[in-house]
Amino acid sequence: MTIYEVITVILLLVGCFFFLAGTLGVLRFPDLFSRLHALTKADNLGLGFIAAGMALHIASPWAAVKIFFIWFFTLLASSTSCYLIARFQREQDQPGKGKEDRE
Amino acid sequence: MEAYQIYSLTSAVLFAIGIGGVFASKHFIKKIIATIIMGGGVFLAFVSFAERDALNFADPVPHALVITGIVVAVASGAFALALARRIYQLTGEESFNNEK
Amino acid sequence: MSILIDGLLAILAIYLALQSLLAPRLSQSVFLFFAFGLALALAWVRLGAVDVAITEAAIAAGFLGVLFLDALRDFSSTISEKHNNTEAIQSSASRKKIKTFLLPRLAFGVGLGLFLLISLEAIWQIPQGGGLTAAAESMLPESGVEHPVTAVLLNFRAYDTWLEIGVILLGLLAIFVTGGIKIYTKPDVVAKDPLLRQVILFFTPVLFLFGAFLLYIGKSGPGGAFQAAVLWGAIGILLHLGGKPVFAMIPRWVGQLVLIMGLGFFLLMGFVFMSGGATLFEYPKAYAGTLILIVETLAAISIAAALTAIYANLNQMKEEPKENESAN
Repeated sequence: MTIYEVITVILLLVGCFFFLAGTLGVLRFPDLFSRLHALTKADNLGLGFIAAGMALHIASPWAAVKIFFIWFFTLLASSTSCYLIARFQREQDQPGKGKEDRE
Repeated sequence: MEAYQIYSLTSAVLFAIGIGGVFASKHFIKKIIATIIMGGGVFLAFVSFAERDALNFADPVPHALVITGIVVAVASGAFALALARRIYQLTGEESFNNEK
Repeated sequence: MSILIDGLLAILAIYLALQSLLAPRLSQSVFLFFAFGLALALAWVRLGAVDVAITEAAIAAGFLGVLFLDALRDFSSTISEKHNNTEAIQSSASRKKIKTFLLPRLAFGVGLGLFLLISLEAIWQIPQGGGLTAAAESMLPESGVEHPVTAVLLNFRAYDTWLEIGVILLGLLAIFVTGGIKIYTKPDVVAKDPLLRQVILFFTPVLFLFGAFLLYIGKSGPGGAFQAAVLWGAIGILLHLGGKPVFAMIPRWVGQLVLIMGLGFFLLMGFVFMSGGATLFEYPKAYAGTLILIVETLAAISIAAALTAIYANLNQMKEEPKENESAN
């Protein structure tokens, strides 16, 4: 096992840990905002670690750049959708409207 | 057990879930989802047969057929959705009358 | 190890399919269906069908998922299947029981049995290496492209692909007939959020570039017209959501031309070469690669336009009933 492989395995394990934590958060957290927090922050960090691990493993600079872009666009899309969902929920939560339809 | 064997068995189960769901679910949207799951089972069977017949590469004809099939399924699904929404707008019904 | 992955993936797909039908709320159903599509896409990667995986993830999970999400605005999403069931039992004639209880299970059993028989027969009875792999491989150098799936789609079985573009247009026409033509009016729901607008602006060129890349790479690897078309269609949908409905912004005849372009050019080319003595959709070998790329580009633009129009029309169906009531 080369040093690269060891680093890859460590990065993948760390990434899996964050995914696990994020999923646990989605399942266990009480309301939408903290769930969103778990889903977008922890999972994106996990995805980042996994992407880094895979980029090391592939060891071709071109593929590594593609993997980086995958991570970057996922980050962008998920943070935007997180913001939009949270904003929608806050508008729903305004006084007089009541809190309903949580997922 | 090869991968294609696992997936061809899966395809049978998916097809059965889909066809059961067409009868069991009442809401239009769920019926449409059920038909698409059914189609997914058929496509999975196709692709697993393609993998079985692989030489240097997997059999490309089933792959092309499945790509065509997916697009056709989506087009018909979209039409079904339009019909369902129209029915709902005109009558307020969310499922067929005789199945309530 | 690989069996473990495949087995888990298979169980996941089955579980998601079941749950998306059994979920009590409609919104849950739709999201689980999303996830089911992605699980299926992973299964296709495992089976070596990367083209199919991209198509599935993009159009079956992505595009259709968006249509379902949009439809949720119409239906009261809190209605539960359970509630319906208890209602059915309360008014229980024995015939109803047969309908709600026996028939689905019967269909499940018969479907499973038949399909299992077919797949077992096909897998363990017919000798391996039947198929058309060898035929496709021997003709691949003459097709003008290096990727076998693209060769089958655009050359060997171009007729299917041509009709497929036609089916999408037919779907669009059918939706027009059902809901009225709504794509030329401004959308009622427009994103006012500045951040969303910026993201849409940012993603438009990125999606365009990525689509073009997929289109071009289809010559030698997984990718091609349909995958590119969905990405370009996503541009149209994003612009629609951002308050810039593409079809309402261009003259009608341009929109109609773009919609019909792929189908028309494909057929025209087929007829031109047919008059030179070839069969329908047979390319002259020397130009096959270039011609395929041109056909793919036009087809991708047409399909993207059709997908955008399908979404825009379904999206606009919402405010219909008022107009209709006043008309009646």
